[in-house]
Amino acid sequence: MARTLAMFTDTSLCIGCRACQVACKQWNELGAEVPEWTGSYQNHSHFTDKTYRLVRFMEDPKPSGDLAWLLMSDVCKHCAEAGCLEACPTGAIYRTDFGTVNINQDVCNGCRYCVSACPFGVVSFNHETGTVRKCTFCNDRIHNGLGPACAKACPTDSIQFGFREELVRKAANRVEALKAMGFKDAQLYGADSKGFLGGLNAFFLLLAKPATYHLPDSPRLPQRNVVVDSLLSIGSALVVGLGALMAFRDRGKGDADA
Amino acid sequence: MLKTPGWEMMIVWYFFLGGIAGGAYFTAAIADNFGGPRDGRVARIGYLLSLPLTGLCGLLLIADLGVPTRFLNMLGVFKFWNPMSIGAWGLGIFGLFSFISSVLSFSTSEQMIGLRRKASLVGSIFGFFLAAYTGVLLSNTALPFWGDSRLMGALFLASGASTGMAAISLLLFLSGAPAGEGWGKLKKADRYSMVFELLVLAIFLALLGSAARPITSGHFAPLFWGGLVGAGLVIPLVLELVGQRVKAIAAVTAVLVLAGGFVLRYVVVMSTQS
Ligand code: SF4
Ligand code: SF4
Repeated sequence: MARTLAMFTDTSLCIGCRACQVACKQWNELGAEVPEWTGSYQNHSHFTDKTYRLVRFMEDPKPSGDLAWLLMSDVCKHCAEAGCLEACPTGAIYRTDFGTVNINQDVCNGCRYCVSACPFGVVSFNHETGTVRKCTFCNDRIHNGLGPACAKACPTDSIQFGFREELVRKAANRVEALKAMGFKDAQLYGADSKGFLGGLNAFFLLLAKPATYHLPDSPRLPQRNVVVDSLLSIGSALVVGLGALMAFRDRGKGDADA
Repeated sequence: MLKTPGWEMMIVWYFFLGGIAGGAYFTAAIADNFGGPRDGRVARIGYLLSLPLTGLCGLLLIADLGVPTRFLNMLGVFKFWNPMSIGAWGLGIFGLFSFISSVLSFSTSEQMIGLRRKASLVGSIFGFFLAAYTGVLLSNTALPFWGDSRLMGALFLASGASTGMAAISLLLFLSGAPAGEGWGKLKKADRYSMVFELLVLAIFLALLGSAARPITSGHFAPLFWGGLVGAGLVIPLVLELVGQRVKAIAAVTAVLVLAGGFVLRYVVVMSTQS
């Protein structure tokens, strides 16, 4: 396997210009959508089948009573342990040689199991094709020596692209620098490959706790209980089967109880 | 910021009918293998009921995908740890057993009957599977309530048993079977399944606590408490208790249990997605 590629989204640098969101739309030929009122500048409220990069506008109350804008360009996390990939029954969702998670549109059968299995609500169903869509990590670009379109377009380097270990090192330094500047809550999200979901190949630097960005604190692989749940079902089957067996068993007295 | 898959009525019907098919089949297999000569009718109805239901299940799954041939994409892969993947295979294999048992249920040759009995024991495993796996499928998602419920598969299985037995009971009634003929045993087994289902449901809710709120309070609560717990389990059990020997009551309870089984799948699938 080639070295793992990653995207590092440093939200402290984001200015909310949405160049990434637009670049993604252009490069991936994602059609226009009817905008929606979200109460802020953000559009749309969540990922859609035509919005793979989404700049979130969070309004965070400051002690002074003012609101501070927290901006974050959100995207599929390309989890090292990906719920969507585990869920997919057709093998349409696969891991590329760069460690990213991609969906083969020719194989997807539109069952939507992956939609329910992503801890971040990334995968979206496209009603025209009957298949699901999400960020491809610009699979075509990375296999031709280019970075993802969003990272390329970002004017502030809020989105950086590179080999994972190098980016993680960079990100750690950046957190230290921000802390020294007084951003007490600056933290990395998903950078630790020993942390949740085996680490995210699209990881983030946040200026507040994850919940402020509508991110789960410590997401877990949805499939972690499949063995327990199956064993409990087998137990249930044994009890039910035994009950029926007792009811139907002929206790050597013919059909007296019929 | 999670997303729901947008599964609709076809999936609810699939979960419901799959439960009945599996339940009816393993009930038939148990009656066939461990019952007496008078249980033959229960066995045959169970086998013959599971076959069209399995076909219908397949059609529902395929129709839900929009493009029918895409169902084949699921058969190009086998992920044994993935409920959706083994579900597609399991349904197919179960259909095969259901077909074999149905055909052999018309045979009178000793040899064929022996074969049917043996085959149905293996087929039962897939019957149990079909009734339960849809629950495990839901409980291995990232969504609250679904993903929090460790007993969803166990509960669906118990419901598959009670509805499968109720369906056979209803068919016995409709076909004008006399009250003997294994019907009493079937009703006994169904009562037992319902009591067990109530028990599993209680533990299910206790383990979930507040995570069960989508069905225990709010929009879906009246349907859950009234339709499943009340009309689908408690009332049938009471009716069975007071009117054991009355044929019409057996039919009424069967209908109630079936409706309750549908309500269970409906509130579980829809509440989380609304
Ligand atoms: S964020 Fe969701 S869609 Fe992206 S890889 Fe992880 S589980 Fe899959
Ligand atoms: S919708 Fe497509 S990508 Fe998602 S799990 Fe089903 S087959 Fe796989």
